[in-house]
Amino acid sequence: MEIRRSSPIIFALFAVAIFFTACTKYNPDVKSTNLPVIESYLVPGQPISVKLYQQKALTDTAQYGAPITGVQMFLSDGTQKVSLTESATKGTYTYADNSILATGKTYTLQFDYNGYPVSASSTMPAKPVNFVSQNGGITISSGQGPGGASTVLNVFSWSNPDSLYHVLAFKAVGAVAASNSFGGNRPINLELNAAKASYYNITNGTFFYLGNYQAILFSVNKEYFDLISNNTRTATSQSLIQTPTNIINGFGVFTAMQADTLSFVTY
Amino acid sequence: MRKLLPLLVLATLTTHVLAQQTQRALKKTTINKLFTCSLDLMFDTLSKDYNLKIVFERDSVSRYHVVDHFLNESLGHVLDEVCGNNKLHYWIEADGTIYILKNMDDLSRLKKMYALASAGQGANLKRIAPPEAPPKNFDFSISGKVVDQTTGESVRSATIRVMGTNLTATTGADGQFVFFNIPSDTCVIETSYSGFQTDRFRLTAQTIKLPITIPLYPSLNTLNEVSILGKKSGVMNTDAKKVGVLQLTPAALDKLPVMGEKDVLKAFQLMPGVSGTNESSSGAYVRGGTPDQNLVVFDGFTVYQVDHLYGFFSAFNANAVKDVQLYKGGFSSKYGGRLSSVTEITGKDGNTKQSIFGVDLSLLSFNAFLETPVTDNSSLLVAVRRSYQGPFYDKIFKQFNATTVPGGGGGGGFGGRRGGGGFGEQVTPASHFYDVDFRYTYKINADNTIAWSFYAGDDNTDNSRDLPTFFTSTITDGKITDYTKYGNTASSIKWSSTWSKNLHSNTYITYSSYFNDRNRGTSGTNTDDGVSTTFDNGTNETNNLKDIGIKSEWEWQLNNTVKLSYGGFANHQQVNYQYVQNDTSKLIDQHDKAFLGGGYVELELDPTGKLHLQPGVRETWFQPTGKLYTEPRFSASYTLDSHYTLKFATGQFYQFMNQVTREDLLNGNRNFWVISDGSTVPVGMARHYMGGASYENDQFLIDVEGYYKTLDGLTQYTIGQQGGGGFGPGGGTATLQQNFYTGTGNAKGIEVLVQKKLGLYTGWLSYTLSQTQNKFAVYGNTYYPADQDVTNEFKSINMYHYDRWNFAAVFLFSTGHPYTAPLSSYTVTGTDGNRITAFNVGAKNGERLPDYHRLDLSATYDLLKINGNKIGSIGVSLFNVYNHKNIWYREYQFQDNQVITTDVTYLGFTPNLTLSLRWK
Repeated sequence: MEIRRSSPIIFALFAVAIFFTACTKYNPDVKSTNLPVIESYLVPGQPISVKLYQQKALTDTAQYGAPITGVQMFLSDGTQKVSLTESATKGTYTYADNSILATGKTYTLQFDYNGYPVSASSTMPAKPVNFVSQNGGITISSGQGPGGASTVLNVFSWSNPDSLYHVLAFKAVGAVAASNSFGGNRPINLELNAAKASYYNITNGTFFYLGNYQAILFSVNKEYFDLISNNTRTATSQSLIQTPTNIINGFGVFTAMQADTLSFVTY
Repeated sequence: MRKLLPLLVLATLTTHVLAQQTQRALKKTTINKLFTCSLDLMFDTLSKDYNLKIVFERDSVSRYHVVDHFLNESLGHVLDEVCGNNKLHYWIEADGTIYILKNMDDLSRLKKMYALASAGQGANLKRIAPPEAPPKNFDFSISGKVVDQTTGESVRSATIRVMGTNLTATTGADGQFVFFNIPSDTCVIETSYSGFQTDRFRLTAQTIKLPITIPLYPSLNTLNEVSILGKKSGVMNTDAKKVGVLQLTPAALDKLPVMGEKDVLKAFQLMPGVSGTNESSSGAYVRGGTPDQNLVVFDGFTVYQVDHLYGFFSAFNANAVKDVQLYKGGFSSKYGGRLSSVTEITGKDGNTKQSIFGVDLSLLSFNAFLETPVTDNSSLLVAVRRSYQGPFYDKIFKQFNATTVPGGGGGGGFGGRRGGGGFGEQVTPASHFYDVDFRYTYKINADNTIAWSFYAGDDNTDNSRDLPTFFTSTITDGKITDYTKYGNTASSIKWSSTWSKNLHSNTYITYSSYFNDRNRGTSGTNTDDGVSTTFDNGTNETNNLKDIGIKSEWEWQLNNTVKLSYGGFANHQQVNYQYVQNDTSKLIDQHDKAFLGGGYVELELDPTGKLHLQPGVRETWFQPTGKLYTEPRFSASYTLDSHYTLKFATGQFYQFMNQVTREDLLNGNRNFWVISDGSTVPVGMARHYMGGASYENDQFLIDVEGYYKTLDGLTQYTIGQQGGGGFGPGGGTATLQQNFYTGTGNAKGIEVLVQKKLGLYTGWLSYTLSQTQNKFAVYGNTYYPADQDVTNEFKSINMYHYDRWNFAAVFLFSTGHPYTAPLSSYTVTGTDGNRITAFNVGAKNGERLPDYHRLDLSATYDLLKINGNKIGSIGVSLFNVYNHKNIWYREYQFQDNQVITTDVTYLGFTPNLTLSLRWK
């Protein structure tokens, strides 16, 4: 091949080299690992508390990230802005007067961390209405195989004309016993995501322990629903997606919710 | 003079007629003779007595002796016997000459020797004899078709030229051609095509009156002399005069390393512009496009599922395929409905001359086919393939199936796959795939042919079994169901018609269906305290698609410089998607229907011998949006001189249907099709700009192409189960949320191909530099590297031919694929006091996996009959010879609060054996 003849090809290569160098490399966001993690539930009748953690390195075996201390934190309800104080537990910021929590009000949390303004807002949903249980308790069959899992043993129901998100939590009161040999490694307390429904069916497969429970119905906001819907234990590089959060310049959740409680027994 | 006359008559006939005469002579001539002499003297006698041209090397052949008495034996049989006894082969060339070969590579040497000797005697038998009579007809037209003499199949893309003029044509899909303004009826027509001997014949006043059929003889399975420029002689060819066109003839595929089976789609992955590092997809990632943006047409119908066995094999049986064309972009207005590329697969019609039966065996599958003439006017092809759970199959199955997430939760819960929560009794799932091709071709008359094509292919994985024993105290008839089935069933009826010398049409009625079903769950009867409850838990996911259509494609060659192509199409498409939980609650129950119809028109202009222009437009009316979509297309090429060609193509493309991939890749049901609705799932749109230059001589092809594409209306999909928490499906309140994300993208790149076309060593080097970016609002407002983006891709394909051996070495290197990695993790406590864990996810595709590379080797030994015809081959293939761990994706898992990263890799070193046999 004559050199002179190959000039169109060389020219084309050159043109394309320019074509490619015109693009800049995509830089991942390096700041995000320095952002704080917030955990705060505003529930009327309960103390106002905000937990502040650092994120954990992937290889970190601690349950929670290291607490963040010494932050000046503010909470506002639209009309007044109060300052939270760090309690004896490091990284936990509290405000003593929980009477500021009321239905329909929007609360905003604000502070500066690592040079970034961190904030989050949440509106107090209405309290659950007409929360009832069909029965005061259920008898769990010890031979609970998959067949039992679909049999409805009890129905919890409530009014939900506005299609609010609801979560039904069960907290054990006192000692419980595992209902069978393979239930023992499961969590004792439960959180059932009812989404926008107005009932939840309890089946033989719901409980793994026998004992006294508090059945707590929470009316929750979308941010909490999103968080528990995306509780990630495992992911692949092809499916990994950021867990939704309502924190600006941060992670975790700052959300208002209201609760109603019933007693429930599993035999 | 009397003696000379038959020679003269012979010389004026076409070369293929000479070969037929020789073959007839071998069959019909009987010999009654005693030979006790050296073999060279015997061949001299046969040549003289039966007027045959037998060419041999006297030095070596004279060493053999014959002592045999032949009684009423055919000449062919005599040759078989004497050659067979002395480990020689004979081979009949298209000019009727018989060559006696010790080694199959001797043919070219003997031919040269023979040509020299003939020239020395003042005769050149290779030249066509002068015309019998002065020309009578001037400035006329001829038409006809090119066929394979041994099978009767039409030959596509053969090059025909009228020697002494600049008239050249390439045969169309049905082998047809037409020439206008042929200067005289004494012109010589030369026809050539890869794998066949070049045919030359002189026109006569008689032959031009009717359509001409040009039969081509296969060349010996070795390499030919090359006499014309642009002749293709490889496994894979690039049309140097068109931008982004690749052609493949499956017959030569066994020269490449075979991963279990000859594979038409995987072979394209060795060419530039088609990504070669997606082991889990047979679908083509063409120039930054995704497989669902590649239209796959098989005998006129669209194929929606092109994979078998997690994409490791394509759904097409190479034994049923005649040829494949891949248009890498800027394609003709004849094709539409996809954003990126077109793969057009043409099935074999079936042998119209004789019955052929063949089998292929490998460590993966069993493959059998039959081609036979049925009547004088019809032929049949049946090809069946089924995998079996041999070592090769099992290895791939495990690689692509056994990696899954521990822990139950969600639907089913009791899945018995690896780490399935510790519940499953580990059994080996039954898994197989099969496909069937059936084609019946009926020639109504010389101008009309009807062909019925049927294809069905399925992949089945069944891991169903009885419930583990510890449940059975209260449960009777306990069953765990766990199966995945997916596949296609499709059929077409094609009517080909030649209306006149220059008007040709193909009309199709097509049906294509795709399904992907997944069923996981448990069923039985639970008897507890005397109360029996029948239960059926789990999820059943079904996606199916039906596409019924009609289309008609017309080609009208107005003269040597203008060709008009036009046609119309109408399709009715239907997609059903159901996600049923616990046999009752339909979480997703979607039924979409769409009608689309339209037409296209395209001009092919050759105003000078050097310039080729191809403007076209395609119009589609899409019922769900009620809009008309216009797709202008244009391509052009300019031949600078006999070596250099410049080419360009551009166009606008729409896609009305998307294959969406489920994010929970590990749960089996990986992808399904959805019809655009103009809002949630927009109609996709792409614009292509492609240009290139090529240099070609007898030995080498250098091809450089660049492209830039913009894409709009891309769709990604996620599905999330919400509600119904706890173990297994909880209350009846679970819902599935389908999220469709839409975005835009662009792709640009340059491809360089350097191909050595001829000689004992052939092969090519391919390099692609590219960038593919997407922008989806869900990942932010900036462009990020698309999943399929690789910056550098280098491929080296080397084939060496030695006698009856073919050796191949394929090396692939590519920049690692981009992936998304977690940067850190965090934990918060939920309302019940239990922990909720989450990843802080880094930039979408912000990281790169390590570079992908592997080396594949293969050796194939041809099994030949004494007369040189190939009857089969034995091959050994070594995949990923140095066992490089190429990473497919990474898995992240919380374990004891920390995140464990696991690399899921592609296939390591895998050997395979293949055996192919053919009977006539």
